[in-house]
Amino acid sequence: MSRLLEAIRGQKLALVGLAMLALFGFLAALAPSLSPHDPEEMYTPMLPPTQLHPLGTNDIGQDIFSELLYGARFSLLIGFLSAATSMAIGLCLGLISGYCDGLGFAIMRVVDVFLAIPRFPLIILMAAFLRPGFRTLVFFFVLFGWPRATRLVRSWILTERNREYVDAARMIGASDLRILSHHLLPSAIPITLVRFIMEFQHVILAESGLSFLGMGDPTAKSWGTILHYAFEYPTIFISDVWVRWVVPPGACITLVVLALTLVGFSLEEWANPRLNRAWRRT
Amino acid sequence: MRIVKRKQIVCTLLALLLVSLVAGCGPAPTPTATPVPEEPTPTPPPVTLTLPGDDWGYPSPFARYPRGPGYIQMSFLFDTLAWKDEEGVIPWLADDWEASEDGAKWTFKLHEGVKWHDGKPFTAEDVAFTFDYLKEHIASWFEALKEQIEKVEVKDEHTVVVYLTKPAADFLADIAGAMPILPKHIWESVEDPKKFTGPEAVIGTGPFKLAEYSKEEGRYVYEANPDFFKGKPAVDCLVYTKVSDAALALKTGTVDAAFFWGKEIEAVKELEPEPNLEAIEGPSFWVLKLIFNVGRPPFDKVEFRRAIAHAVDRSKIVEQVTHGGAIVANLGIVYPGTSWYNPELPAYEYDPAKAREILDELGLGEVSLTLLTTGGFAREAELIKADLEEVGIEVEVKSADWGTVDGLLKEGNFDLAISGHGGIAQLHIMRSPTWPATVYKNEEYDRLFEEQERTMDEEKRRNLVLRLQEVIAEDLPVLTLYHPKMWCVYDPAKLDTWFYTKGGVSIGIPIPHNKLVFLER
Amino acid sequence: MRVAQYLITMSIVLSLNFFLPRMMPGDPLSYLTGDPTADMPVAISEEVRERLLVYYGLNEPLIKQYTDYLINLAHGNLGWSIYYNAPVSSVLLGRLKWTLLLMGTATVVYVALGILLGALSAWKRGTKTDIGLLLSVFSFGSWPPFFLAMLLIILFSVKLGAFPIGGAQSPTGSHAGGLKLAIEVTYHLFLPSLALVLTHLSGVYFLTRNSMLGVLGEDYIRTARTKGLRERDVLLKHALPNALLPIVTMIAMRFGFMIMGTMFVEVVFAYPGMGSLIYQACTTRDYPMLQGAFLLIMLFVMFFNLAADLLYARLDPRVRRA
Repeated sequence: MSRLLEAIRGQKLALVGLAMLALFGFLAALAPSLSPHDPEEMYTPMLPPTQLHPLGTNDIGQDIFSELLYGARFSLLIGFLSAATSMAIGLCLGLISGYCDGLGFAIMRVVDVFLAIPRFPLIILMAAFLRPGFRTLVFFFVLFGWPRATRLVRSWILTERNREYVDAARMIGASDLRILSHHLLPSAIPITLVRFIMEFQHVILAESGLSFLGMGDPTAKSWGTILHYAFEYPTIFISDVWVRWVVPPGACITLVVLALTLVGFSLEEWANPRLNRAWRRT
Repeated sequence: MRIVKRKQIVCTLLALLLVSLVAGCGPAPTPTATPVPEEPTPTPPPVTLTLPGDDWGYPSPFARYPRGPGYIQMSFLFDTLAWKDEEGVIPWLADDWEASEDGAKWTFKLHEGVKWHDGKPFTAEDVAFTFDYLKEHIASWFEALKEQIEKVEVKDEHTVVVYLTKPAADFLADIAGAMPILPKHIWESVEDPKKFTGPEAVIGTGPFKLAEYSKEEGRYVYEANPDFFKGKPAVDCLVYTKVSDAALALKTGTVDAAFFWGKEIEAVKELEPEPNLEAIEGPSFWVLKLIFNVGRPPFDKVEFRRAIAHAVDRSKIVEQVTHGGAIVANLGIVYPGTSWYNPELPAYEYDPAKAREILDELGLGEVSLTLLTTGGFAREAELIKADLEEVGIEVEVKSADWGTVDGLLKEGNFDLAISGHGGIAQLHIMRSPTWPATVYKNEEYDRLFEEQERTMDEEKRRNLVLRLQEVIAEDLPVLTLYHPKMWCVYDPAKLDTWFYTKGGVSIGIPIPHNKLVFLER
Repeated sequence: MRVAQYLITMSIVLSLNFFLPRMMPGDPLSYLTGDPTADMPVAISEEVRERLLVYYGLNEPLIKQYTDYLINLAHGNLGWSIYYNAPVSSVLLGRLKWTLLLMGTATVVYVALGILLGALSAWKRGTKTDIGLLLSVFSFGSWPPFFLAMLLIILFSVKLGAFPIGGAQSPTGSHAGGLKLAIEVTYHLFLPSLALVLTHLSGVYFLTRNSMLGVLGEDYIRTARTKGLRERDVLLKHALPNALLPIVTMIAMRFGFMIMGTMFVEVVFAYPGMGSLIYQACTTRDYPMLQGAFLLIMLFVMFFNLAADLLYARLDPRVRRA
């Protein structure tokens, strides 16, 4: 743990990343109080930036700045929840499949099948049969996130279980369950954490992409949907409206993803000791 | 060492692949395009017109995609017996025609001296053959022929007589004005016309010949047919190509005209002031509807439907969502300004208080509905949702792609749905006012509809159609929302003969790509 | 054993690709008769609908359609596309060449660049070069691809007019001969591939850097240095080749997945690739097309995975001996 803090403190980049995340988290949490309007309230369409509307209004008159703040909520929340759920499942299944070969084989075959599912038909299916909204989207991302997480944890466990400390534990009579929970599980935490950050970032990009294509929930307030309606707007390429409508949500997505990347990168250095060795020697 | 070498080999192979791909992208990316045409004679310089487009299928009468633009592409190569300009019906392959008293027998006198692209002469045999061939073969999109045509006779080389099974008031518009005439000498040996996509499949009598077709790039390149029976076209080379943003393409000069409708009025407003561009407006013959699932309570009560009509502010939708790019729709669906239009229909003023009153009277309590829509109308859905929530109806918007929406509508598995369609210059689509759903059953309506189809007398027919609209407005199986307007923004220096065809091109296609535009007029 | 595994995966994927699209509500005919949100629908009668279903073989029981599909596949016939009205194979080929061109170019560039920059970063770890590279590569990698694409068009095509706004060739395109065509295609290729390179760089860069760092910490590197070898030789002849080993798998996967094209860049640049094909085939419920496209992807991915496994086995003497 102290190594973690030391690594983070030592890494200025991680601090920068965390600071940006904290800022967005703050904005997201306080969105209702910070935003000047209800993002669903409609005023005059396509107003330029004024004091009342810092970024102007969109094609049906909703305040873009308020949309942006609520978008932070949506994007951060969906990223966090999807990544956390995927990791939780991945950790459990990865531990089991890494340790028990028979069960492991079966689980990995299921993983293979899930990895082979094509995304577009699946999301169309889900849009057709499930109720629209946040939960459906989380479900979709977890569906594709858990196989990756499971694979990662499993390969880690496969190497770890042959290490001396595991043999030692077994020799002194520790049960399988104890080995799993007290030794292997903690050892897998670092890479799971790193993977969590990466998945978080991946979901934010994927969600914005899906919304951009119009395949998410078009009534949701996310950065991706803001960009979707901006792209559809007839004069988006022939006028200057993009400066206030395209740049802010795009920049927000970029900054959050960058922040996560920086944090993830620093964590990777902590989680993977080999990298530190080279540094210490030079 | 080993790896570096491997990298080198891989890089070289990939570079070779790249070069060969690029070099291989020569003419005729599909096996069906004809070879590159020769350079035209030096003076005057060839007029090339580039227009925004998309892939609408190989432009043979069977391989084209069935929708409007696919037909248009085919119409540049194939002709019909009659055609239309901005005033109305004009003679085309047929110089003249005559209908018998009862409307069941039509005699066509064909234009003489017309030649197919391959030089062979066009005769009445081809016309008779076309009627028979289209009747038989699948996906000709003229299946109605089977019921309507009894037989076709060739009187002489330039006269054809068509016998109908029963009088059809729209025969001239639907069939004579829309059916592409096929060359008998080519198609008589074709068994599966849908799969026939060689260069022979696009031999017609039309003003253009197909020089190139690229499916993935949505590109059509046509060259003028110098022997066209109405004279050589003013445009030597006509190109349609896919662009991601038509407004941008027009502004940068990549294309010479661009077409907009509805919400895209913003692009028109932005482009029109440009000194080198002009714009004209035309009717879209399109309507956006809020469809009620009439078979499902509480929609089975007409009062409930009327309450919703009072609750939804249609002019606000027109203002807020389309920014003035549409007009509030005729409750009777028929496009305003056409000869069928009924201007005196009952109205439902925007009055949320009244709506609430009616709902209270009905005593339904808490009502919660789903509103089905495709992504393109999510904005309209948001407004309707807000309006309905004002009067105490909970709405959940469900957005899905067209295939899903169509499926659900056909099954009758929905509450409210937003869906629109074109083709309302004519009446066929109104057979079911809730198209594509078929949830509305009204005997009077069906009887009226069927009667007007047979009525040859214009006055009588019009009265029937007026009554049809009244039924829809009173009974409200759908609440029509708006009719988009349409524009053509073009560079007059390249071509300034653009116009909107009366009643839409051929079967009612609203876009101004009438082949007459490209001819010397 | 491995062959068996591949075969099992293949058959599961084939079945999935057959049944999943058919579970989507709506059928190909909904789209055939028109997405009326664009224009006029073609209202067809029940009878016509039946005839069309028979023509396309859609009215037969699902199992029979499935076996027919497999039999045709065994004969190398990918079927007829309902929406595009052409053989599936010809449509695929038409798109594939552009995808290979765009994704191929971009992949080669960003893999090469990623390796170079990653190695450089690792060598200069902790210095300004390293931090600078980290920040810039990560920054670009954080951009959503469609956002970057939109900005590139606005800045370079609209404001500067330096590049075309989209498409693979100019409209009166392939009438030009070889060299002119090549120049035009490259011209149209520049912005889309730039967008792809910038957004994909970070993955390869990061992995190379880490791998390189791991290798640089190894004993044999220290030995090579103490032996007096030039730093450049140490890096290029000893460190880099070994650092690339773990990356081979990742690179192979990248090449494998590149065939899926990329939806966002293709949509914004109107580039005719596999990404937009799959999207369109999905929305039009063109089952044969989807089956063909997914099959192609599966084969591609498997090929590259297999290649990676074999290559890895050949290159890593430790694996070979084991």
